[in-house]
Order: sequence, then C-alpha cells, then structure tokens
Amino acid sequence: MDKFLQFTVLGLSQAAIFAIAASGLVVTYSTSGIFNFAHGAFGMMAAFTYWQVHVAWDVPTWPAFFLVVFIIAPLFGAFIERVIMRGIEDAPEVVKIVVTVSLMVALLFLAIAIWPQDVAHPVGALVEGGQLEIAGVILPNQRLMIIGVAIAVAIGLWLLLKATRLGVAMRAVVDDRSLLQLNGGRPARTAMMSWAIGAGLAAISGVLLAAEQPPSAITLTFLVVNAYAAAVVGRLRSLPGAFLGAVILGLAVSYTAAYLPSDASIGSFSLSGLPRAVPAIMLFIVIVAQPEARLRAHTTIRTRVVGVPTQRTAAIGALVLVLGTAAIGSMIAGPDLPLVSKALWFGLITVSLVPLTGYAGQVSLAQLTFTGIGALAMAEWGANGSPFAVMLSIGLCALVGAVVALPALRLTGIYLALATASFAIFCTWMVFSQSSLLVGGTVSVPPLSIFGWTADTQFKQLMVTAVAFAIIANILVLLRRSAWGRRLTAMRDSPVACATLGLNLTSTKVGVFALSAAIAGSAGAIAGRSFVSDDFGLTPSLQVTMLAVVGGVGSIGGALLGGLLLGMFPIGSSVFAANAIGVFRFVTVPVTKVITIMPGFMGIGMGRNPDGAASDIARSYRSLIESVPASVVTAIAFAILWISARLEYISNWDFFAGVLVILLAVMPLIGSILPPPGVQVAGRRLAAGLWLVFALLITAVLPWETLVESNGFRILLMLVWAGVVASIAVGVHGAVDLEALGLGTDTAAEIESPDLMGFGTEITRADAQLAARAIGLDGELDRPDTGSTAVTHARSGVEVGST
Amino acid sequence: MSTLEVSDLTVRFGGNLAVSKVSLSVAGGEIVGLIGPNGAGKTTVFNAVSGVITPTSGKVALAGRDISKLPTYKRARAGLGRTFQRLEVFSSLSVRGNVQVGLEIRKSWSRRGGCDRQYLADGADLSADSEVSLILDRLDLLGLADEIVGALPTGQARLVELGRALAARPSIILLDEPASGLDENETTRFGELLRSLSGAGLGILLVEHDVGLVMEVCDSLHVLDFGTVIASGDADEVRQNAAVVDAYLGAGT
Amino acid sequence: MTDAPAAVEPLLELRDITASYGTIEVLHGVDLVVPPGSVVALLGPNGAGKTTTLSVAAGLLAPTSGGVYMAGRDVSGVKPDELARKRVVTIPEGKGIFPNLTVKENLLMASYTGVSVDHIERVAFERFPRLGERSSQVAGTLSGGEQQMLAMARGLAVEPAILLLDELSMGLAPLIVEELYGIVSHIAKSGTSILVVEQFARAVLGVADTAAVMVNGRIRAVGKPSEIENDLSAAYLGA
Repeated sequence: MDKFLQFTVLGLSQAAIFAIAASGLVVTYSTSGIFNFAHGAFGMMAAFTYWQVHVAWDVPTWPAFFLVVFIIAPLFGAFIERVIMRGIEDAPEVVKIVVTVSLMVALLFLAIAIWPQDVAHPVGALVEGGQLEIAGVILPNQRLMIIGVAIAVAIGLWLLLKATRLGVAMRAVVDDRSLLQLNGGRPARTAMMSWAIGAGLAAISGVLLAAEQPPSAITLTFLVVNAYAAAVVGRLRSLPGAFLGAVILGLAVSYTAAYLPSDASIGSFSLSGLPRAVPAIMLFIVIVAQPEARLRAHTTIRTRVVGVPTQRTAAIGALVLVLGTAAIGSMIAGPDLPLVSKALWFGLITVSLVPLTGYAGQVSLAQLTFTGIGALAMAEWGANGSPFAVMLSIGLCALVGAVVALPALRLTGIYLALATASFAIFCTWMVFSQSSLLVGGTVSVPPLSIFGWTADTQFKQLMVTAVAFAIIANILVLLRRSAWGRRLTAMRDSPVACATLGLNLTSTKVGVFALSAAIAGSAGAIAGRSFVSDDFGLTPSLQVTMLAVVGGVGSIGGALLGGLLLGMFPIGSSVFAANAIGVFRFVTVPVTKVITIMPGFMGIGMGRNPDGAASDIARSYRSLIESVPASVVTAIAFAILWISARLEYISNWDFFAGVLVILLAVMPLIGSILPPPGVQVAGRRLAAGLWLVFALLITAVLPWETLVESNGFRILLMLVWAGVVASIAVGVHGAVDLEALGLGTDTAAEIESPDLMGFGTEITRADAQLAARAIGLDGELDRPDTGSTAVTHARSGVEVGST
Repeated sequence: MSTLEVSDLTVRFGGNLAVSKVSLSVAGGEIVGLIGPNGAGKTTVFNAVSGVITPTSGKVALAGRDISKLPTYKRARAGLGRTFQRLEVFSSLSVRGNVQVGLEIRKSWSRRGGCDRQYLADGADLSADSEVSLILDRLDLLGLADEIVGALPTGQARLVELGRALAARPSIILLDEPASGLDENETTRFGELLRSLSGAGLGILLVEHDVGLVMEVCDSLHVLDFGTVIASGDADEVRQNAAVVDAYLGAGT
Repeated sequence: MTDAPAAVEPLLELRDITASYGTIEVLHGVDLVVPPGSVVALLGPNGAGKTTTLSVAAGLLAPTSGGVYMAGRDVSGVKPDELARKRVVTIPEGKGIFPNLTVKENLLMASYTGVSVDHIERVAFERFPRLGERSSQVAGTLSGGEQQMLAMARGLAVEPAILLLDELSMGLAPLIVEELYGIVSHIAKSGTSILVVEQFARAVLGVADTAAVMVNGRIRAVGKPSEIENDLSAAYLGA
C-alpha cells in the first residue's frame, strides 16, 4: 500500500510536468492552428539556458528561473511565431508539420552544438531537499513544488482565458478569425502572444524536468511525445482534457515502472522497455477511441501542378541513373563508396514518401521504423539473401503500416503524424531494443543474392540500391499514371466529392500508407549492411521526412534530391572533418557541427514551399531536356570526362570538378544556347557555347589536388569556379531567360497596408459634415497594387456550401 | 425505379434548428425542386441526405432501404449522387480526368464493373472511354476536355461536377445550384438536359435560385423557409401561394 | 444634429469596384454611395455579389480595381481591423458573434474600438434587457434573434461612423426583424451611415432612404424604395 501511494505521488508529479507541457501545446495549437512539434525542443532549450544562466553565470535559482521562464522563453516563442509561423497558418498540413518538425531538429542539434552532451549539465534542485511525511507516505518537497506549479499554471491559464481581453481574444480567434478582425482585434498579434505563452509553459516543464535529473537534449526534446499523448485526450484543443490526460498518463507511467518486474517478458520478447513506451501506447488508444473526422470540403491550396513523367521518360531516367551510378561508383575509392551508397539508399527511403505525402498529402514520421522492420525481418528470414525473403519482409512492412495507420487515417492529417511519431518511439523501446533481435545492439542484413550472384562488394551493393530505386521509381510512375493515381489527386483536391462518388477515403489512404511503408521497408531489406538501433530512431525519420519535402516530395526526382541531400551531410562531415569556422577568434565552430544543424534550418526555410526545391531546379534544366542537340552535347561532355578519368588522363579531382561545372554551368545554360526546335533565342550563342567548352577544358586540366591543401576548400573553390563559368556564359550570351534559371525578380512581397484612416484621428460623426471638405485631403498615399488578397480566413470544416 | 424518401429530417446546430421535420420524396424519372430564401436550410438538407453531416433525427431511405446510418460513400454506392453549391471539382485534373475519376471510382465498387442505371446512352454497353466522351458530349464539354478544371469559369465547372456525378451512375441525384454561372442560352439547354435525364429514369432533387428554370423543369416543388417546408405543389400552385410570396419578400408591412 | 445639407458628400463611396475570388471576377464595376446619416439597402438575388460588395467595403477583400472612399479618404487595401478601430463596424452574415464566448465576452471583444467595456455593456443591456439577463450565457446557445441582437449591440455601443450589415433578417421571424430594423433606423437618425445587404426583406425597404438592386455583379437600379419595389419581385420570382 505504501508503495502504491508512493508511486501515486511520483506519478502525479510526472503528470504535473506533462500537464504543463501539454497545456502549452494546446494553447498554441488552438489559437494558431499549428501543432508545435518543437514544443519539447523549446523546453529543452529553456532547460539548457537555465543551466547557462544559473550554473555557468551563477545567477541565483529563482531570478534565473524567472528570467528564463517569463522573459527569454516568451520572447523566443514570439520571435518564432513572427519569423517562422506567421503566414503558414493557412498552409497545407504537410507544410505546418514539416516546418515545426524542422524547427525541432534544428534546435536539437543547435543545443548539442552549444552544450556538448558528453558533459553533464546538472542544474540542481529548485527547492531545499526536505520532505513531508503524512501517514507513512513520504512527500519530497521537490515533488510537492512541481504539483503546486502545475496547479498554479492551471489557475493562471484559467484566469487568462476567462478574465483578460487577450485571453478572450485567443478563444475568439478559434471561433471566428475574421470576425475578430472586424471587431478591431489583431489575430496575428494574438497568435504571437499565444506562442509566447506556449513557449513559457514549455520552459517551465523543461526546467522542472532538468531539476529532477541533469538534462539530456534528446530526452527533453522528445518529452513532447508524452505531452501530446496527454493533449490528444483533450482533442488537442481542451485544457481540462489535457490536464486529465496528463494525470492518466503520469499515473500509468509510474505504476508500470513500479509494478512491472524488470525481467518481464513474453517468451523471449522482453518487456523492459514498456514503461517508456506507455505514452505511445496511450496515444494510440486515444486515437482509436476518437470518432471519425467529418468530411473535409474543398480547401483552396494553390500548388503548382507537378508534371507526371511519361513511362518512357521514367524508363530513360532509370537507365541514366543506373549507368550514372555505375560510372561514378567505379571512380570512387573503396572507403568512400559506402557514403555514396548510403546517399542513394536514403533516396530510396525519401521516395517512399512520394505516394503518401506527395500524392495523398499525408505525413509519416516513422519511415525509418519501417526500414528497421524490413531490415530485422530480412535478417531473420533471409540469411541466404534470397529475393523471396525480401518480398516477405516488404509484405510485413506493408501489413504493419496498414495496422498502424488505420485508426489515425480516419482523423485529420495531424493525427497520422502524431501516431507515426509515437509508433517510432514505441518501436525504439519495444522492438529495436530487443536483444534477441539485435544482438549486441546491432543487426546485420545479409546481402541480396539472386541465382548465385551475391551483392558481396560495396560496388555491387551500390548497384543493387540503384537498380532497386529504378524499379520502384518506375512502379510509382506507373501507379501515378493509372486510375489509382488520378484518384489520389482527386482525393487531395476534394475528399468530400470523392466520398459522394462512392470512394472509401479511409481504405484508400490505408492502401497508400501501406505502399509507403513497403517501400521504406524494402530499403531495409536490401541494405546489405549492419545497423545499430539508433539508425531506426525518431530523429533520423524526422530528417527523412523533412528533406524529402525540401527536395520536393511531389516528384520522384525531388524526393531523390532530398535523399541525396541527407546523404551529403555525412559526406560533408567527412570531407570537412578538420575544418572549423572562426568568428573573430571568440568562437570556433567545427564545420561538422554546422553541418548537423543545417538540415533543420533547410527544412524551416524550404518546408514552406510545398513544391520543394526540385521543381525550381527542374525548371532551369527543362530547356535542356527539350532540346535534343543540347542533351546529346551534354551526354558527350560527360562521356569524354569519364573516359579521360578512367584512362587516367585526368585525376579524379579533375573529374569531380568537371562534373560540377557541367551540372551547375553547362547544363542549365546549354538548353538556351542550343534551343529546342521552334524556340528563338537572341544573343551570341556561338561565343557562349565556345566559352563553356573552353571553361570545361580548363577545369579538366587544372591541378585541383595541388591547388589547395584541404579537401573542403577544394570543393568550395570548384563551386565558386562553376559559378564564375556560368555567370560569364550568361553575360556573353545575354539573352538567357533569368526566370527559368530561378533568378527572376519575383518580388510579390507583402506590403503592410497604409494607415490611411487618419493618422490617429477617427472618423466621427462630425466627419459626416466635414466630408465634403475632406475630399482631396489625400489620395496620394502609396498603397499596394491590390491583387485579390482576400483576408478572409479559409475555414475548413463541414461548410459544404452555405444555404 | 428507386425512390428517395426523406421523412421528418431535423438538423440542429448547437441551439439553432437549421432544418425541422422536412419530408419529401423523389421518384426515378421525376424532377423535384427545393426552393426558398437564403438561409432556409436547403444545402443543410442536401448535406444531411448525402451523409456529409449527421441529422439530429429523421430518416433517409433509398429504394426502400434505410440509408440514414450509412457513411457518405455507402450512400453513393446505394445510388445517391450530388453536386455542391461551393464547387468541389478536382481542380488539378482535366475536364476529362474529372469525369474519368467518377467512372473509375464507380468501377472500383460496382461488382459488375457498371450498373443498370445509365441515362445517357439508352442502355447501350459502352467502354469506359466512350462513356466519358459521351457524358462530355452531352454536357457540351467535349471541346474543353483537356482543360484543367481549376482554370474554368464557374458555369463550366458546375457542368463538370454534374458530369462527374453522372459517371457514378446514381439513381437519384441532388443538384445544388447547378445553373448558376450559366448564361441564358446555356440555362435553356441545361433545362433540356435535365429533362432528358429524368426522361431516361434519373430522379433529380434540384436546388436552384434561377426560379424561372425551376418553375419550368420541375414536376413538383417544395418551398423551404426557416428550415420547414411551407408549401408544396406544382409551379403554379407555389407561385400563387401567399406564404411563399411572404417568405421571399418578407412579411408585408 | 442639424439637417444634412442636400449636397453633402458621401461618407462611404465605392467607385467602379471590380473584385474577384481567385481567377473568377464577381464584381464588374460597382458604384455605390452612402451619404452621411442615411440607410442604403443593397438588394438582389443570391449570387449577385452583395456580400462581396460588403466585404470590399469592410476591408475583408481588396478590390482588383476601383476604390473605396470613406469621408473622402481612399481606404482601399486598409485592413479590416484598422477600419474597425476607426469605428467602421461590420456585422457579417449570420455569424456576427463568437458562439463559444459568453455574452459578456462577446461584448468585451468590441472594446478594441477604444470604447470602454462598461460603456458597451451599459448601452447593450439598456437597449436589450434580455441580453443583460443572459450575460454569462454562452452565445451559441442563445436563440437566433438574441444572437442577432448581440451582434447589433456591438454595432450600437461603439457608436459607429459607418455600419455595414449583412443579411440582418436571415433565419429570423418577421417580428424580430422589424424590431431590429427599428434599431437600425434609430442608429441612422443619430448620424451613422448604414449599408444593409438583404436578399429578401420588405422590412428593410421601410427604413431605407435609398435602395440599390444588384444582379450579376452589377448595380442594376438605384432609387427610392417605392420606385423599385416592383422590379424586385420580378427579379426574384422570375415572373
């Protein structure tokens, strides 16, 4: 009995922290419509900032606490709202998820870069260590204080939302955004305040947790997963619901830890990870219990229509990819080959998001979990590398995917993202921690073996990956061009119309999700290398989703670009291993650290454009593809370069520089120099063409490897050189379509509306009499050239027409 | 021929009674008009009948089968089609693509790959492509077949929606303001089209603010005001009804 | 106030407004004037563009061409919250209230105009005692008429210079509509310029100084209510 009470108190104090964190999530989500995946990261940053202020700078406990919680964190939250979140409230769900996930990843790696995790950062207790003892139950002061803070937060929030104009306006925004504006309220400012409050609440939970045990960046960041299990109980919008959810969760976690024997298992399946998996399990149960979402009417999302390649183009593209991979792979020395191989392999995983995110508009944050399941299944069933075992593993992933996604897919998009994230965490603790599956924490996927041919070298493995990618890409194009692909587009355009035609939306979406899980799983099954359990964690999955969207998840090329980018980061780290960036001698940041932060910031920056980077890049290469002479010339240039390198007329570095110059200077330009039939271009085409050839020759004979010492600077130099070549060609040629190169002057920037209404004065009734004279007072004020910028808030929901 | 029977349909939003005890029926081959002032609850009736919202009480039956508890897609499979007042087209697909998707979705659930309800080709057996072309032809959309629907004017887009709904071969179709955005000539032709569809056995429930069109094509009319049916009958009866005139112009002062 | 001179300048003027939703143009050159202290009714069938016209006046939708002038100042492109803070009150169609806030909280939201909450509540509860009795009730649970009164109370209490009303009568019983229009006429007499959009209502014709009939994104007729009543019934019932 004592034990029970003891763990009840422990559970309640954990519940208190979950409640504070969850209420912050609810406040920001319900007022801005953006679910902040970075909420835990906010708390984590606050905890480390508190360490910095309190421990490193020696500010006493409570002043430091107040500084962090009431000043720094709210300012940070408001800053994030103003700079990042404003303008994406009405964006598609995918954009909102990717931007906040990117923010989370960026903050996580930023914190790791600033506060190295191999050193502990204890912040000490907030209150004296004493304890109360009531009827034999020990109540430590620290626990009581935490519970007290949660109660204070609850009362504070209640007062704010009920008794202040700001709080009432925050609720009014939820009801009717445009009506608040018509009342004179400013929804944008309200949203900013709600982010400030949300960040403050995240900070409280972060600092309280840090006071319990020295903070770890990853643990605190993923605190949010526990918090959203609590928030989902209140359907992400109700504060009492979130508090209730937190209490249930806190107690469940505590009792599981108390009463589950440490060696509990089902057969050989260990249950030791169960207490950590409780939030994920609870989230899943709550989602299953939610009633089905109502049908969503048309939302006006303006995305550029991504052209679907023909089957012929896709087949040619696949061939080029395989041949290109062979060509490049044969140039690369043994130790670097796995890195290149891995980049392409990531492409296989990012491409798994093309049907799900690109076609169906849903987000999964657990792609690497499926890859992991595929890898485990292959290791278990396919010791001889048989293709049959690969098929079986892929089938298992599809099945698991369908089961995981089914309950969440009945709801709106955010729930699938939440469900997949908690599935990733569930698998981390319950599957990838099984010592029977990952012996010594690693699993070895046997190399593929077909009819006696085994992918037993790095080069063969690279080719297996390339061929697998080519096959999957072609299957996807085939599907996309089929009735099924059209149906997915239709479903994204108008789910409600599809339902009135007899389409079962849920089962259609489950099918897409299963396909996506299967592709991600196939990457695991054919990997042919070893993994550690961290490879299948939530963080790498988040990066996969992020970069798939950055590259452009609407198209296969875009997703591949995203995967290659992801693979580039480790390559960058190895190339720049010895380099550091110094800032006036005060700070020296190793380049490798900068590289770990980059993906997150790329996601924040590019996630806003749902078409991805690839479509922008593709536009500048389009004229090349359309012109036969231009593509022939480019192909010949590549071939000459490769043969020269193979025959060792030029060095590998010369080859690399040549490839860069062709990619960045020759290819975007040659289409306009050798235009497709029927297109007229002015300018000195011959001169520009000759310059490109000449520049390529110089590139190939320059002794790059002796030019500079460091590999990193060598590559930088090559990039600069390619830029110089391109700009000289543009200058000589003169008549290049700048917009096609993505250099167009696209300055449709938003301009603040002028304060025309009267410089502080109001229109009063006296104005009625003065109106005659008022004419001609102004009328010379600048104002935006008004396009049709409707301020009306796009309301989603059941409003399928109004009577 | 199947009949749509709506009895005592009531929809409450919070405290507001949006639709109160509405009963009406549409038989195959019949065109029934549903008119009334702005805010009378016409679209709410459509939403409740098609399952987009859940009515507070009341029953919807199709061909004698109670479909009140079914989700939207099952009602569609039972033979209920609809269009929307606020366009719900597949704006990134072509005109042909829109109709094609309607047909393909139907083929995915209809076991025989098609069903008997077919109003445009006199029962002739058609390949999918020629069925799509036939629908486009009858709606005067063949010339626009390859246009992306998002770029079409409203009038044409509404026809695309109708074509798409027809491709699913409903037995009863609910049309929500299908003629708005059409010019006078087009409206006349549209009226003829509705007539020929109903002549072939399709039951049509029509909400339309062009009262001229409604009066001309409908076999019978219901007038909705404050969520209740205040008058029913044929065009002349309704036109003469004092309650209807009041509903439209406000109670006389 | 003194009688308005005959040739006083309009307080609200729309000059040759065109407006579109996306690529679809819905207003094709609308001219409309609301002189000080008068009620202008904008009538017409569904889909004629009345609500769009009102949205343009309220700043919710920027016109693609043409200009919105208030007291002679060009305000096209000014945001709706700025207009609201300058006492341009808009009561949108059927949703002039926040359904999940209480009556008092709804009135609190009107205080962005700079009028004190106390004043707003006093005026509102004096004029509509029924709202006073239900001050802590959640607005969504009020009857339709009470909800519309709450919306009107806001318009009343902040003493607007310009009042834009959309479908005041929607879904309300004739008696309540009459009562509400009595208030509209009262507000107008105290000097506010009012633009009312209505689809079907004889009641508004009783209080309007001028009525404009709108069809297909254009103003078809403007005149005294008595002059256009006959055109109206023809326009609606198509006879």
